[in-house]
This record gives sequence, C-alpha cells and structure tokens, in this order.
Amino acid sequence: MDLTLSADQASLATAIEGLAARFQQPPIDFRGFALVNPELEHELSAAEFFDIAAVPELGPVAAALTVERLARLPYAAEVALSMLVRPHLPGRWPRPLALVENGGPGRFVASARTVLVANGDELGVALVPNDAAEPVASIYAYPMGRLTKSVAATPLSRKDAGVVRMWLRVALAAEAAGLIQAGIDKTVEHLIVRKQFGRPLGGFQALRHRMAECAVLAGGVKWLALKAASTADEGDAAQAAFYAQESATRVTFDLHQMLGAMGMTLEHPLHLWTYRLKFLLSVLGGRGAHAQVVARQCLV
Amino acid sequence: MDFAWSQEQAAFRSSIREFLATHLPADWESVAHGPGSEAQTRFSREFCAKLAGAGLLVPHWPARWGGRGADSWTAFILAEEMWAAGEPRGGQYMNVNWIGPILMRFGTTEQQERYIPSMGRGETLWCQGFSEPEAGSDLASLRTRAERHGSSYRINGQKIWTSYAGAADTCFLLARTAPGKDGVTIFLVPMDKPGITVRDIPSIIGQGDIHEVFFDEVDISESARLGGEGEGWSIVRAALYMERTGIPRFALALRMLDRAVALLRGVDGLDPDACAQAARARTACEAARLYSYRIVDQRHHGTPTGPEASAARVATVSCERLVAEFVVEHRPDALVGGDPMLLAHHQRAIVAGIASGAAEIQLDLVATQMLGLPREPR
Repeated sequence: MDLTLSADQASLATAIEGLAARFQQPPIDFRGFALVNPELEHELSAAEFFDIAAVPELGPVAAALTVERLARLPYAAEVALSMLVRPHLPGRWPRPLALVENGGPGRFVASARTVLVANGDELGVALVPNDAAEPVASIYAYPMGRLTKSVAATPLSRKDAGVVRMWLRVALAAEAAGLIQAGIDKTVEHLIVRKQFGRPLGGFQALRHRMAECAVLAGGVKWLALKAASTADEGDAAQAAFYAQESATRVTFDLHQMLGAMGMTLEHPLHLWTYRLKFLLSVLGGRGAHAQVVARQCLV
Repeated sequence: MDFAWSQEQAAFRSSIREFLATHLPADWESVAHGPGSEAQTRFSREFCAKLAGAGLLVPHWPARWGGRGADSWTAFILAEEMWAAGEPRGGQYMNVNWIGPILMRFGTTEQQERYIPSMGRGETLWCQGFSEPEAGSDLASLRTRAERHGSSYRINGQKIWTSYAGAADTCFLLARTAPGKDGVTIFLVPMDKPGITVRDIPSIIGQGDIHEVFFDEVDISESARLGGEGEGWSIVRAALYMERTGIPRFALALRMLDRAVALLRGVDGLDPDACAQAARARTACEAARLYSYRIVDQRHHGTPTGPEASAARVATVSCERLVAEFVVEHRPDALVGGDPMLLAHHQRAIVAGIASGAAEIQLDLVATQMLGLPREPR
C-alpha cells in the first residue's frame, strides 16, 4: 500500500498541471453550455497524453489522475473514455470515443470516430461513418449528439463487455471527481467575495458546514476512482461510480444553492461543471445499476 | 501509487486474524457489548497481556518500550483488525494509540519508567479527563483547577462523559493552573487518590462506559505534571491529532453491514431500495477507509497531515451512521436481544461523531483549512 505518487507519476502530474494552467480560464464573454477548445484537444494528442495508461511507469492511476485534473477545466474534452476505456477495447479503435446508451443522446457522439453501443446488457463497438451522427442542442455542458442511423457494431464478448463496462465506471468516477472539485473551487471563490449581512457568505456556519461536507465527498470520489483504476476490480469500479453519482447528486444541488441567483445565470461558469455532472448522473444505468454490482461484488 | 498490500503487510494481517481466532472466546461478542464494563475490562487485561506476549500489542513502539519500531501501516492494520473484531483491547487502545506515545514524547524519565512498561505489557487502563459540564467542544474553557502548594498541586473540579473512568488506574487529566488557553496543564493522576469520586452515567452506548469524575481537594505531586505549566494545550493537540484517525471505525461497520445482509438471506434477499441503501453504506465505508489510509500514508512518508485528517473523521462518522441506519431499518431485532455485535456496533456508531472532537468541529476545520473559507466571527 502506497498512496503517494511515484516520481514518474509526479512528473506527469506536473506536466499536466502546466498544460491545464493554459486552459484554466473560460472566455470572459462565453454565455453557452458546452465549451470546447480544439487547441486543448490538439495539445493532449501531440503530447501523447491519451496513451499514458499503457505506459508501465504511469499506468491507469496516472490516467485517472489526468482525467480528474482535465475535468476541472472549463472546457469539455473527450478525455475519460480515450484515456481509461480505449486501452481495454479489443483491437485498435480511433478516438474520440463516445458512449451511446439505448439509442439515446450522448456526450461527444457527434464528433466521435468510435462509439460504444450499449443496449441493455449488450455492449458493442463501432466506427462512426461521416453522416451517422449529428449534434443535439442541450443545456448539458457537453457537446451532445446522437446517432442518426444504426451503425454496424461489433458485439463484445461477455468477458470483454465486463472489462469495458468496468473501465467505463472508472472513467465516469475519475471525471466526476474533477467536475465536483472544480465546482467546489468556483463556489468557494464566490463565498469568499460575496458579502451579505456585512460579511462574506463563507463565514456563515450554515454554508461552511455544507461546503465542508461537499469537500469531504469530493475527496472520497477521487480516492475511490483512483483505487478502482489501480485494482481494476469490478466491485471497486462499481463503488467508485456509485459514490460519484451519489455525491454529485448532492453536490450539484448544494453548489447552485450557495450561488443564489448567480447560480442561475450563464454569466457565472459553475454550470460548465455541474451540467456535465448532471449528465453523468444517468450514465451506465445510474446509481441503481451500480448498487446491484456493489451488492453482489462487495457484500457478504 | 499502489493500493495493494505487500506480502509482509498481508502476512501481518493474517497473523492477527489467527491470533484472534485462537484467543477470542466463543462468547466474546456478548462481552464486547459493554466496552467499559467490569467483564470487558477484566477480559481486556488478560487479552492485552497475551497480545503483548505475542508482540502484537505495541509493535509500532520503539524497542526500548517493548515494540519493534514497526511502521505506521503495521500499527493501522493492527488497529483495523482489533476494531473489526469488536475491540477486544477495550479502553487500552488509547494507551497503544496515543497515551504511550505522548508520554514517550513529553514525559519525564520517571513518568516514562512508571507508566509506559505496564502499558506495553497490557496491564493498565487509563481514562482521559478532558470534557467538563461547561467545556465540551470548547475544551479550552475548562474549569477544573490545579493550585500549586509548594511542591504539590491541589485539584478541584469535575470531569464528565469520561470513558473507562470506573475501572481506570490513571487519569490523563487536563486542569487549569492559570486563566486562558495558556493556563491549561496536564497531570497524570492515579485514580485511587483520596478525593476522587467516580459515578457511572447510565447511557445508550453500553454498560459502564461513561462517567462523571469529581476531584475534591485531590493532592498530587509536582512530579505528576506532564510538561510544564501551561503546556497542556499543545500536548493535548498532539494527542487529539493522534486520536483523530486512531479508530478505524469503518472496519467494524463493514463487518456488521455484511452480517446484516447475511441475516437478510444475502444479497438476493435485498429489494432494490435496500440494495441501494446497502451500497450507499458500503461505499461510504470504503471512502472512510481510503481517507484513513491517506493519513496513514502521509505519516508513513513523514509528510505533514493537514485537514484531510478532519475529512477522514467526517467520512467515518457518515459511514458509521449509514451502516447503523441500515441495521435498524432492516434488522430491528438487533436492538431487542438479537445479534449482540450488531447492537454493540449501533452503540459505538452513536459515539462516532462526538468522541475525540465533535464532527462539527471537524467540518469547521475542513471549511477553514481545506477550503480557505473565512472563519465565523466568535
């Protein structure tokens, strides 16, 4: 047991931090939902960051940490599935990746070159022809899209589907960890500067304790995601996904509440994280589905 | 970063489990019901002596004091296994976790020689004289006085909610030698001193656990003072810091969650709501465990532990509550003569958010130190 980063992992974290710092601020005049940045995508690709899980000195834990860090950016980038799921697909599939569940809309579907197609318990993987997907307008803060025609999906074997589903859960948890943390950070900024009754909101115990509880949840989400990335255990992954969605449900409500009316506007960027989280709440069947796996894998 | 146990760590855990399987009697879980009871205290004295004989009571202490200088992980694995078994060390866990180490750090040679060896042999029980009727979370406002008379002190005052005081040999006592936070001093007080009266407080949390302790003109030698006058607060902060992650409560909670589910005919006996509730409790325990491991890892690497220790406490309180609520909702018989260990867990879960500093104090520390929010005006 060693929960401290290795020298290689720490070096990677420093490099990612340097990259992330350049994309930390959203454009001041952005008033939309999904904020994307081709330059971020280009830099991640050029530095081969999408393949770090396969580097023995770095591994899936470093990939999960990277997913978590990049999710804290205001820009929505297809990082989680590429870094944590793609290495476990049978064969080589081009990125970006997207997940389409039961024919519904999904994040990054319109720009994906590969889609994972989930129908009930079945899971397949397919290349996306040029005219097979389209963007969908949404208040989720991801570029949402849907398939416009059926694609020829290669069904995954039961074993491969189990592995891919497990890594989808890890990816979900790692991304949610970053989104929750960024939402908390943005809200704390507001609570420090916004004054009511003559003092900062952050000095009122009713808000301090709620925020502290959110912070404790955020740390738990991160640690569960990292553990699942390290062990690649089905129960750990289901726990990480369950805890992420469970925590996100509470945290998204609390953070908008803390911002008052400001949290209803597109002027404040909080929604760039919370409305990504809100989409993640339903992914992979939501808490109920993960709970079934947690119960079977982790109890008695 | 690696979440797997080393072979050595796994072997150590196995050795503890083997020890427990050999030395815990068949009726142990009924005895565990009263952590401060005469029965548990008697049992713990015998059990801790056996643990000490096997080198499993204080392995993380220096060799000079009967240990082998084992690392932080070893100490925590030991604590996990003990707590998961219902804490057969009883109140002696405090000696192992912080009273012994605090005396090693701050005690005089005479104090160390007098107290540490008997702790290392598992022969002695301590209580901590901290809370008072008017000083709970606001511990620094304590009123128990220690007035100097030549080379001795005279102690007057009252402590309350004091665990294990009914059977303790010695009290780790906080008393006031001057006004303010800088006027708090620690005394190591033998509980058989004339003028000390202990009264049991009937409680929900188990037989013989909490007490009122009255100090009426208790004379104590200057040599019983730990550290200098007014140094009590800094010493107690060090003690609270050690205590903060000292109890791996998630370990028993996890075991009791499993037991409750087993009594419900296993996972197949859970409806979707109960399944979600069990998953919520299970993942909360895992989060608490990982938070605690993070603190242990920081200590192992000699990294300063920050407000994450407070976050670990909050996470632990949450997981205790979720497991206890699951049991009460789905196995209500646990509180009416059913499984005694489920009852014991329920009682210990009540304490989780109160003992060693209320959870709300920890939330305040997280808000200030982790989030950087401005303090509330006092």
